[in-house]
Parts: sequence; C-alpha cells; structure tokens
Amino acid sequence: MEDLLAARLTMAFSLGFHIVFASVGMIMPFFMSTAHYLYLRRGDREYLELTKLWMKGVAILFAVGAVSGTVLSFELGLLWPGFMKYAGPIIGMPFSWEGTAFFLEAIALGLFLYGWKGMHRWVHWGSGLMVGITGFASGVFVVAANGWMNSPAGFDWVNGEAINIDPVAAMFNDAWLHQMLHMQVAAAQAVGFCAAGIHAFLLLKNRSSSLHRRALKIALTFGAVASIMQLFVGHFVAQRVAELQPIKLAAMEGHFETQRYAPLYIGGIPNTELGVMEWGIAIPGGLSFLAFDSFEAEVKGLNDFPRDEWPPVVIVHIAFQVMVAIGGLLALISLAYFYLARRPALPRRFLQLLVLTAPLGFIAIESGWIVTEVGRQPWIIYGFLKTKDALTPMPGMQYHFYLFLVLYLFLSLMTIWLFKRQIEVAEMRIDREHGRGRDG
Amino acid sequence: MVGGAMVEILLFFLGASLILYIVLGGADYGAGILELLPAGRLRDEQRSVINKAMGPVWEANHMWLILMVVILFMGFPPVFLTLMVHLHIPMVALLVGIVLRGSAFTFRHYDAIQSEPSQTWYSRIFGFSSLWTAIWIGVIAGGLERGLIDPQQRTFWGLYIAPWFGVFPLAVAAFTVAIFVFLAAVFLIGESSNQDLKRRFATLGLIANVAVVVMGGVVFLVADQQGLPLLATFIASPGSLTAMVLATALFFLVWRYAHSSRAIVVRLCAAAQIGLILVGWIIASSGEIIRTAQGPINFYASAAPEATLWQLTLALCVGSLLIFPSLIFLFRTFKGHLG
Repeated sequence: MEDLLAARLTMAFSLGFHIVFASVGMIMPFFMSTAHYLYLRRGDREYLELTKLWMKGVAILFAVGAVSGTVLSFELGLLWPGFMKYAGPIIGMPFSWEGTAFFLEAIALGLFLYGWKGMHRWVHWGSGLMVGITGFASGVFVVAANGWMNSPAGFDWVNGEAINIDPVAAMFNDAWLHQMLHMQVAAAQAVGFCAAGIHAFLLLKNRSSSLHRRALKIALTFGAVASIMQLFVGHFVAQRVAELQPIKLAAMEGHFETQRYAPLYIGGIPNTELGVMEWGIAIPGGLSFLAFDSFEAEVKGLNDFPRDEWPPVVIVHIAFQVMVAIGGLLALISLAYFYLARRPALPRRFLQLLVLTAPLGFIAIESGWIVTEVGRQPWIIYGFLKTKDALTPMPGMQYHFYLFLVLYLFLSLMTIWLFKRQIEVAEMRIDREHGRGRDG
Repeated sequence: MVGGAMVEILLFFLGASLILYIVLGGADYGAGILELLPAGRLRDEQRSVINKAMGPVWEANHMWLILMVVILFMGFPPVFLTLMVHLHIPMVALLVGIVLRGSAFTFRHYDAIQSEPSQTWYSRIFGFSSLWTAIWIGVIAGGLERGLIDPQQRTFWGLYIAPWFGVFPLAVAAFTVAIFVFLAAVFLIGESSNQDLKRRFATLGLIANVAVVVMGGVVFLVADQQGLPLLATFIASPGSLTAMVLATALFFLVWRYAHSSRAIVVRLCAAAQIGLILVGWIIASSGEIIRTAQGPINFYASAAPEATLWQLTLALCVGSLLIFPSLIFLFRTFKGHLG
C-alpha cells in the first residue's frame, strides 16, 4: 500500500469512527436531560430510569469519543505535518475553543455521572445539560476548522508561504456556517433515529412498556424535527458548494459538461472515461434549479477543470446519492411520525420500519463526510496545498493504518456488545418490575 | 516585544498543563499500574475504590494533554511537527495506550453485567495499558531531552528510531512509572475507608517514593554516562536547584504523614513534590525543552505569528475563567471529603 493511500485511509477511518461517538456525545445528553427534566418536574420514576439508561450510553460512548478524538488531534501532525505547518497557526483558533468546550464537557460529565448524591438536584440536572451544550459547541468549532480546508480564508499565500494570518477570518470562513448547520442537524437526525430504532425494537418485544414508548417519543421528536430541518439546510449547503467548490458539486452530481438547464440525475454511475452518466434518471434543468434557483443557470461541469484536479468522481457521486436518499427517506418517515403520533399507540409496521432505519442516519453522516473529504481531493487546503504534499516523510504508513483498523474494529465490537448487555439487563428489570414475561 | 510576552504566557500555560497532566493524569495511570500488583483479598475492594476515585475526574484530567497538543500545534508549529515526525512511533504507542486505558476503565464500570471473566479482562487491559502509556510518556520525555532528533539523518533508524531508542529514555520511563505509582498510591490513601487498604496504599506510596528518588538518581547517572549535562544544568540554575531541594525536603513530610489520618496533607505534599521536579526540569531547560542534533528548539523562535498568539492567549485566558471554577467545583464535589 502506498504511504499516501495508507495515511488517507487511516484518517478516513479515524474520522469515520470518531464521528459516530462524537455525534452521540453531542446529541444524546439532550435526550437524557429531557427525560431528567420530566422526572424532576413530574416525579415519575420511569423517567429517572430512562435518564439513567441513557446516561450509561452517554458514558460509554463519550469515553470512546474522547480517546478517539485524542488520537485525531495527534494524527493531524503524525500523518499530515505538511498541512499542520500552515494550518496550525491559521486555523488553530477553533481548535483552542474546541479544547475549552471539550474540557468543560468532561467536567460536566464527571459531575453528572457521579453527582446523583450530594449535588443540588437542579444543579445536577444543569450539569447534564452542560454536557450537551459543550459537546455541541465542540462540534461547531471542529466543523468550522474543517470548513476552512474547503474554503480557505484568513491568510495571503505568497511564494508557497502563508502570511498576513488572520485567525478570526479563517474560523469564520465561507464554509463554516453551512457545514456546521448540516453536521449538527445530521447528528440530531442520526442519534434520534438510532435511539428511536432501538426503543422501537424493544417496544415490539414488549408493547406495554411505557418506558420505551416515552423514550421513543423523546428520541424521535428530536430526530424528526431535525430531519425536516435538514431538507432546508441541505438545500442551502448544495447552493453554497455550487458557489464555493463547483468541482465538488460537479463530482457529487456526476456533471461533466458545463451547461445551462443542467440535468439532475437520480441514481446512475458516472463514467469518467467517456465523461457521461450511465443508468441515471435525468430531470432536465433540475441541477441548475437546485444549485442556483433558476432552470437557466449555467452549472460548471468537470470537463472545465484540469483532469488532475478531479476528485474521485464515482465515490463522491455514490456517497452523495446515498446521503440524499437517506435524508429524503428520514424526512418522509418524520412526516409520517407527526401524523401517527396523534394516535394512542404507534402501529406495529411503523415500529418495524423504525428498527430498519436505526443505522441510516449514521450511514448518511459517513456518506456526507465522504462527499466533503473525498470531494475536496486532491487538495488538503482547497486550491492551495495538495494532500500528497502534506504527507509525513515517515514511510510504513500502512502499519499505522492496520494498527488503528484493528484497534477501532475491536472497540466497535466491544461497544456493540456492551450496549447489548445494557439493553438486556434493562429489559430484564422492566419485565421484573411489571411482573410479566417478555411477550407481554 | 509584545510577542515575547505572549510567548511567555503561552509557555506558562504549556508548563502548567504539563504539570497538571503528570500530577493528575499520572495518578490515574498509576492507579491502573497499582492494580497489576497482587492484592489478594483486597483486590475487589481496591478495584471499587479506584473506580470511585477516578470515575468523575479521569476525563477532565486527560484534557490537559489535549490542551498541550493544541497549544503546540497552534502556537509553536515547528515544535509540534518535530515531535510528530521524529517521535511518530512512540506517539502512536502512546495513543494506543490512551485509547485502551480509557475504554477499558469505562467499560469495566459501565458493563451492565458485572461478572467474571469480563471484569478481570477489563482490569488486565486497564492495568497493562496504563503501564504501557506511562512507559511511553517517559520514553517521549527522554527523547526530548536526549538531543538525538536529527532531520538531517538519511536512514529510517536515524530519523525515526534513534531519537527515542536507548537506555536514557528507558531510565526516564522507569522514573515516570515510579512517579505515577507514587502519586496514585498517595492519592488513594484518602479515598478508601478500609483500614487494610489504606495501609496498603500508604506502604506502596512510600516504596514508590523511594523508587522515585532512586530512579531520579539513575536518570542523572545515565545522562551523565551518555554525555548529557543534565545534572550540571539543574545545579547551574538557581531556580531548578531550589525546586529540587524543596522536592527533597517534602520527602520527609510525605513520610511523616503517610500513615496519619490527614490524607489531604500527604496528598498535597506528593503533588508538590512531583510538581517541583517538573518545575525544576522546565526552569533548567529555559524554554528549550526539545533538543535536536542541531541544537535545542527555541520556543521564541518557533512561535506562530502574533495574530495567532493573541487568539491563543485569549482562548486560554477565557477558557481558564470557565474551566478553573468548574474544575474546582468538580473536585470539591467529589474530593471534598478529604479536606
């Protein structure tokens, strides 16, 4: 394996692993605090049980998120010293704020996890909420830093050196807002639907469990609201990308020829040899309209760019299609949920559907990051520095990759196993308390 | 000149983070190492004391490391890059240890079914990865001091292995392990209500304290043997000499109070002792902690542009205003019973 490929795969894998835990760390505390609030207000012990159940999930996932995040902060330098040489001073600022937020998050989590006795109950509740707020803030800062890689700002590039550095301008680069909104909303979707799916599964096993019914309601309300919001946010993102990174948009859509009335393809595989889309369903003018609000607008195609600046078109296109398809599906399910939520109980079929859609939000997040990161290639700082020029001089990167591959696969399996055990035990307790068997 | 003052502020934060990481985070690693020692019938009790003591604070203690990384890559990129390129291998080893240690500790506590053999396995991984991480922290520290980082080398060995591979980094690693065990044992005295366990921690703490002194001597000896003027630099600087004398003086206080009921006294003494050793090292190096074959890397010369230093200083100052009160609240909530 080439060192460049190994380093890119390591980074992709590390980020892909971390983002799952980070998303949960940002969103799950809000579910937890909602349940906790309902317990404190209404005194219903079932909400307390739910709070503690979710708290254990947060504790496990936050720990893995924190240590895998540590790995990432080192990997920036271990794998990409040529990048950090420039990026550190320019875009370190959001990282310094992220570090602050992350620190506060760790403190708040310690207080919440262990503060059930000895802390004032509302202060304790507040510490749980702080976990969510600071986790969310961390996410905002980190995504702002990533935005800078796509839309560099806050420096002048003179003779291969960055001068006149302005960290504030770098942080508030043109891409920070739309990327941040897109990611934070996506995290709420993914975590909401995943938690809802798990509770739907348990509800199918025990239809009378009001704990799972309440859990599902809280989680899916977050997930569904986010899914509707994402329709608008996603559209905004596409328009910003069309403006800031036309080549990325062209790769996402498999759009080769610069043209007015550019078609939007549903499905399809881009053939980069012939420069055409194969098997796709074309909606005439659709891309022009989506990107620029006008059917007549001209959309730049890949052929307008030098071939060596093309990102891997097929990967970007497929990942984009997967993300959009999931986004659409989750929005439809969300609408259905708002309709069905008025009934006393959700239909069995709908619960089964929720079980199936549980992992989709995370698949969409992973796909979305593939679009962003692979779609930026061959650049690491878009338009300024190529990824291959940022690589560490140290050879043997494939061993680094295999090591973290094995480590993270092991941790993923462990986490799933621990969750399975948590859920089994929670189920047994619920069954026992209600004095009935698993089948209700 | 404003730039120079800001570099000093940043170096202060960097040094403070280093000390806090070694003293607080180090105690957490030491707790894992302690669990590797046979404890007989006290094993389960010891496990639960460590869970309770570390649980609320270990993640916050770990953040000092993150802070150091951020200060380095934002404020002093050449320093960060030199470390990440030439100490790549020990850094990766360190990260593997950090990941396994944190995960195993959390999994052990939050496994819904607290039974064997899983608990033993978590504990083993927690213990060995704590020891592993401590060793690599020491190796990295030794590599910084040793001065064999040399970008002009041509071979893989010369560029990526020689800087950290050898007797001196190993001696520093052993010194680090002794420090961590010492801190953990002393900190844990006050966390336990079981008298047998208290005695065990006190005894282990005193043994480890001797080990700290002995290994510290070994580090100086090995340095001298390898032509590193470590002892000479320490003695030449009045500040670091004072720090060393004070650290040694605290030795007596630690011994005096180890078995007493006032856990907080011995705890503060131990923390001060290790903190002073680090202060001595920082002062002796006078802003040139990282030495290469071409000479020490000067923090003043490798500082980022002024606009960046401003933002970093601002973030650290505002961050401190938020973090320190929260941290004090955290420690008062969970460690308040000691005072």
